[in-house]
Amino acid sequence: MKEMSVRVFRFDPSEDKAPHYQTYHVQVNEGARVLHLLHAIHEEHDPTLSYRYCCGSGQCGSCAVRVNGEPVLACMEEARDGITIEPLELPVQKDLMVDLEPYLASISSLAPREEFVMPPQDVVDTIKPLRSCIECLACVSACPALKVIAFAGPTAMREDLRLALDPRDTEDRVTEAVKAGLFTCTSCQACWKVCPKDIQIPGKAIEKLRALANKKGLTLPRHQEVEKLVKETGRSVVRTETSFLEQVPEVIEPVGPVKATVGFFVGCMYNLRLPKTALDAMEVLKRNGIRVIIPKEQVCCGSPLIRTGQVDYLDTLKRRNIDAFVFRKIDTVLTMCAGCGSTLKNDYTTPFRVMDINELLTKFGIEPPARLSLKATYHDPCHLLRGQGIRDLPRELITQVVDLVEMPSICCGSGGGVRSGIPEEAAALAEKRRDEIEKTGADIVISSCPFCEFHIMEHTDRPVKNITTLLLEGYREKDRKKMEKPV
Amino acid sequence: MYVYDPPYNKMRSAEFLDCHVLVIGSGGAGVRAAIEASCYGETILLSKTIAGKGGCTTMAEGGYNAVLREEDSCEDHFEDTMKGGAYLNDPALVRILVDESPERIRDLLKWGAVFDVTDRCEVAQRPFGGQCFPRTCYAGDRTGHEMMATLMDRMASSGTEVIQEVSVIHLFKDENTVTGALGIDRNGELLAIRSDSTILATGGGTRIYDISTNSSSGTGDGYALGFRAGADLIDMEQVQFHPTGAVFPYDARGRLVTEAVRGEGGILKNSLNERFMSRYDPERMELSTRDVVSRSIATEILEGRGTGHGGVYLDVTHLPRSQIESRLPVMLEQFLKFGVDIRDEPMEVAPTAHHIMGGLRISTDGQTTIPCLYACGEVAGGVHGANRLGGNALADTQVFGKRAGEAAGRSRKRVKKIHRKEIEAQEKRLAGFHEGSVLPTTIARSLQTAMWEGAGIFRTARELEKTLEVIKHLSSLPLKATGNSNLAECCTVQNMLRTASLVVRGALLRKESRGAHVRKDVTQTWDAKSSPYGHTWQNLKDSGVETGVKA
Repeated sequence: MKEMSVRVFRFDPSEDKAPHYQTYHVQVNEGARVLHLLHAIHEEHDPTLSYRYCCGSGQCGSCAVRVNGEPVLACMEEARDGITIEPLELPVQKDLMVDLEPYLASISSLAPREEFVMPPQDVVDTIKPLRSCIECLACVSACPALKVIAFAGPTAMREDLRLALDPRDTEDRVTEAVKAGLFTCTSCQACWKVCPKDIQIPGKAIEKLRALANKKGLTLPRHQEVEKLVKETGRSVVRTETSFLEQVPEVIEPVGPVKATVGFFVGCMYNLRLPKTALDAMEVLKRNGIRVIIPKEQVCCGSPLIRTGQVDYLDTLKRRNIDAFVFRKIDTVLTMCAGCGSTLKNDYTTPFRVMDINELLTKFGIEPPARLSLKATYHDPCHLLRGQGIRDLPRELITQVVDLVEMPSICCGSGGGVRSGIPEEAAALAEKRRDEIEKTGADIVISSCPFCEFHIMEHTDRPVKNITTLLLEGYREKDRKKMEKPV
Repeated sequence: MYVYDPPYNKMRSAEFLDCHVLVIGSGGAGVRAAIEASCYGETILLSKTIAGKGGCTTMAEGGYNAVLREEDSCEDHFEDTMKGGAYLNDPALVRILVDESPERIRDLLKWGAVFDVTDRCEVAQRPFGGQCFPRTCYAGDRTGHEMMATLMDRMASSGTEVIQEVSVIHLFKDENTVTGALGIDRNGELLAIRSDSTILATGGGTRIYDISTNSSSGTGDGYALGFRAGADLIDMEQVQFHPTGAVFPYDARGRLVTEAVRGEGGILKNSLNERFMSRYDPERMELSTRDVVSRSIATEILEGRGTGHGGVYLDVTHLPRSQIESRLPVMLEQFLKFGVDIRDEPMEVAPTAHHIMGGLRISTDGQTTIPCLYACGEVAGGVHGANRLGGNALADTQVFGKRAGEAAGRSRKRVKKIHRKEIEAQEKRLAGFHEGSVLPTTIARSLQTAMWEGAGIFRTARELEKTLEVIKHLSSLPLKATGNSNLAECCTVQNMLRTASLVVRGALLRKESRGAHVRKDVTQTWDAKSSPYGHTWQNLKDSGVETGVKA
């Protein structure tokens, strides 16, 4: 047995005006799960604690709660000392019990044909992973979109795709999904990362449904414009100023010895909207021994098309990009756009390695910058945190320059074609970011994705900067101090 | 909805919900029954949990037995089931099970179930214990979950009214006829429903044991409700101990490790690395029937050849990794969560209380011995005899769920009376819990330990008598509810005590070893086929064992 201290959300709407937290010290067995901790509280300390459970083996989806803010199944998550247990972000009935029923009832049901058709093996193989959903609603709790706009939510979309693919169903699920908010998903992947069954809802359901919607001509007009632009210009944004690629040579040699040579994939946003930031990054790389090769014929990675279900032109883009680097015998391609990085890593099959700039800089180490007397907060880009699993590396870099105050990692609303397709939703999500930024009291906001940076800039009065810009400012400060104190 | 109102303990209103068919239970059998019954009249389904999440169907991993191939036959399925059940099964029920199981899986497929298929677009089947043909259909190792998802889908469009998270605490009777049920929700509010017919589909009750595969709802509610209403129960001593339950971590002990692991080729070994099944059943080895494998494992452990955590090894590391990943994904995921990668290291397993073969005596239409009361699924007895074959329970839920639903649906509409004094008696019962002094969890814990020690795999009259004394003592303790939300819990513990007592009394009545029931203190000269005994039976008034009745 071991003792644990645990903080539990308590709320009885029939008696309490507001929720409160109660701390318990409980004895549990080695290997106990969060559920067993709740049992221990219920049995030894407080029989009035309400929580839901049933199978105790991760199969029924009754017991989802949030542990330290993250949705988990109580019966599968190992109990740890010092955790906080809260209900899912759904209407609370009592303590840890939330009202699941309205959502469960909203998930579509199969409308069978009179005659029986057996789905073929390939359809079964596609549907099977979607069917492992236990409807615990962890994904619904985690989804940022449905907190600001009418959206059926991740698992309803999952079932819609399943029904759309199933030859036994008779209804038009694609149109139904579009009406239910198919285009409100920002591709933030929060739903996938909290799914106890690891169902990749954005990639395996929502993008697939959007592709089916595209075939029906239901793609949003703004998204169609983006596709047109990509086809015509190779870029997903319009050129309004001198691009990054127009300003740099094909090879940038570092100052001092070469630690590594990489090919650089700039991406549309840093090329055409925020070229200055990309130039800052080049300065940082130059100073840290990285030789950069920049093929000028590179084009859009295709992410804006994949996320919106417009995949016809994708293979052309992929081939052009891969060829551009393979032709120069490049074995490592560097990305600094989180979206491009995630796309090259997850949607491409590349003969080269893809590295995000945070990975590269921490791998080879950086010259220490000077510290700036600023308090910063960091916005995790979805396509870096969840798309590439990179959480700590940016923080390691940032804290070398400034003090970091954390805020919750929530989507800013700019991804998945939402900023162009449903701007009011994107704005609502960014306003929630504004609130979180305010709460931290930070002087500046740091991120590592052009979409996030560009979008958040419009919704905060704090400066929003890329990590490499921050590093460069640290170097400039260092140089300035050196100038002041000549040796 | 009626509001339970302590300190006066009166229902606030004299109104009742009315329906044609009331289904109690939301597992595979209950939902199947509701789908069928709703074709005939207004149907209400009461679920103790959120419907679709409770019960054991959704946890059932391995599969569903059905004869689907030309090379297989219903006669073989019948013979396998009877033999596996030590010929204690009711042959008429088995005949129906094997004949109708293929039709019922076709219902599921039509409604959208996603079973694994072969490259010839047929439902895939795998071998399971005690069967001469691989006839177990599956959806990976989440077959029951797939069925439940499909059934819930279907029920949603059937017009059935589903009432969630209400525990039934009493069946109303008018003279000898069941006329409805009284439920209590999690706030302690009472709900009375009047029905022409009532179907018990409350599942099993192996939560009465310390180590069990059952979900939290496996507390034997239906056995207790049926018994108190005066129905006959048969063969309650026949409790299946599944051979392979997890042994670690401690709090998750008993968690089911599906038979599909052995069906896919998993091997059992003791701590000396011996494939010990060769000593107990050299022909069928790991795929012997569950009673045999459980006893073999228990014997290995008792004789000191167990593992550190008190189990034996179940090993699939010799199988291709891709086979483990695609056919046993739930097992892989669960063990990974507990720090064991079954692709690289063996699992540790030991027997765990799994299924009660006994239950309410039913006709082929699920009619119990009390008019207007039906039963289907695990709460009913007779289908599986003295030992259930893996894969037959899911089939049972569908075949008899449909039959009970249809029979109840076809039953005539009538004037149903609920007597005020019955409600008052229940209000008094609940009020008593506010005066009590012992928490339900305390009683449940003591019961579970006593049952595991005294009425487990190996039994003697002495141990059984001792266990019965413990049950009597526990039943005499004044249960305590800390608040209205704990009232249902108190009723549930009373159901557990009743179920345990039925199991132990059944075990004392059956003075032979048969199937899952082993009496170490009885020497017998007969085998299952020539046994002089038929069903044990118990009701409010009397109990006994049938003799001279042969299958």
